[in-house]
Amino acid sequence: MGDAEITASSWRLVEVGRIVLISKGPSEGKLATIVEIIDHKRALVDGPSTDTKTACPRQAVALQNVILTPLVLEKLPRGARTGVVKAQWEKAGIEAKWQESSWAKKRQQRERRRALTDFDRFKVMRLKKQARFEIRKSLSKVKAAK
Amino acid sequence: MSRLTEYQVIGRHLPSEANPTPKLYRMRIFAPNTVVAKSRFWYFLMKLRKVKKANGEIVSLNVIHEKRPLKVKNFGIWIRYDSRSGTHNMYKEYREMSRTDAVEAMYQDMAARHRSRFRSIHILKVVELEKGDDVKRPYIKQLLTKNLKFPLPHRVSKAAGTKLFAESRPSTFY
Amino acid sequence: MSAVLEATRPAAQTKTFGKSTREVPHHSQKAKKWYPAEDEAQPKKVRKSIRVSTPRPSLVPGTVLILLAGRFRGKRVILLKNLDQGVLLVTGPFKINGVPLRRVNARYVIATSHKVDLAGVDSKKVEEVGSEKYFAAEKGEKKKGEEAFFKQGEKAEKKKPSSSRAADQKAVDKALLATIKKEPMLISYLASTFSLRKGDRPHEMVW
Repeated sequence: MGDAEITASSWRLVEVGRIVLISKGPSEGKLATIVEIIDHKRALVDGPSTDTKTACPRQAVALQNVILTPLVLEKLPRGARTGVVKAQWEKAGIEAKWQESSWAKKRQQRERRRALTDFDRFKVMRLKKQARFEIRKSLSKVKAAK
Repeated sequence: MSRLTEYQVIGRHLPSEANPTPKLYRMRIFAPNTVVAKSRFWYFLMKLRKVKKANGEIVSLNVIHEKRPLKVKNFGIWIRYDSRSGTHNMYKEYREMSRTDAVEAMYQDMAARHRSRFRSIHILKVVELEKGDDVKRPYIKQLLTKNLKFPLPHRVSKAAGTKLFAESRPSTFY
Repeated sequence: MSAVLEATRPAAQTKTFGKSTREVPHHSQKAKKWYPAEDEAQPKKVRKSIRVSTPRPSLVPGTVLILLAGRFRGKRVILLKNLDQGVLLVTGPFKINGVPLRRVNARYVIATSHKVDLAGVDSKKVEEVGSEKYFAAEKGEKKKGEEAFFKQGEKAEKKKPSSSRAADQKAVDKALLATIKKEPMLISYLASTFSLRKGDRPHEMVW
């Protein structure tokens, strides 16, 4: 018999210390960590970030309204209070790691685009057109040289 | 915003010449509002003592708040429940953040499993199970295992502003 | 109250009927013998009144507006003045997008957050254009009867823009054009028209 190769699944797990992004409800778009699992559908989360934009008050949320991120706070004790969570949060540099991720950057860009005024939208359209024109021009030059 | 609130209701028999200082009776009652809480107090007191609303009075009524609403606790609830064919006593366990949440979950659970109504359930006792060993039911025990972790497989993420028709099937890997 | 009525009431007469005398009230004081068969229609009291209109806070003179209705729908224009009853005085400027000095309804307008500095614009001229009589139609003679009937076949003389209006337009736009030229892309922005594209959600947009 050949040896069966067993590889662990790369699923993100619901576990104590998992960083989640809240996708629905009053704290939508906030970052938090799972402090304790209530049951298979809910978890107690706490987001002690210093940045008010991503800080999330301690609350119970449905896992349906949450997106798991690849970030985990290792060694977070179960049911830790906000002080402990905050210390670990800062030690692990969660804030910086999140801001670096392309996920956060994309979200930020989308937010910026959404906040553009009518005139700004027009300017973006114009500049995009100009950039496209330059690219086409250089491309046609390369094509002609071949 | 929870549906139920826990009230402390204190009442007594009206003082008479024979008994100028009647005994006070205290109950913790889960009810949606104070009117229902008082009504339930008389309902239970009439079953237990020879006092009714006509010859009694309510001395005080106040709300009992959860001491630590941001802590996950296990609750054991003893109930007496009238089914269609008889009366049963039951013990159930719930994992919630507050006593009122646990009682609400119990009413929902009883409605789902036994089609029972609010009027057919008497709550006998609600107790917080502080030690893990006190938990009896396996459905709560399984949540107390060390290093509990599980995936959330197969979820369709619905972003706002998605089109009505998609050109590709959604990826449910999560 | 009754005493006053008593005084104004025409006096009663005393009359003798055979042996007895009796007071007979004045004929106007007697009860009517019959009621009118038809109810008299009472005209309804009008309880409406023209209230002072307050423009939206976003409608500050100098704001770039998007017109939503009328001949110039989709055009981006500049607000000059808030007139009475939710009417706005706007200008294209005419040279950029062809919108003349014009009055529009404030309801059919989107105010963007971009503002153009109105400094240097002749405020007296704007005041004059904003006055009630400026846009009133001229009462010309109307040809009647036979003459008009036979003239149907011929083409009516085309209305020409009056030279005084054109002069006013130029006077108002002159300073505006100077300030608009200073900001890059603003001219082409005002020249372009607005329209909704696929996937655009106007209620969620920032203007």
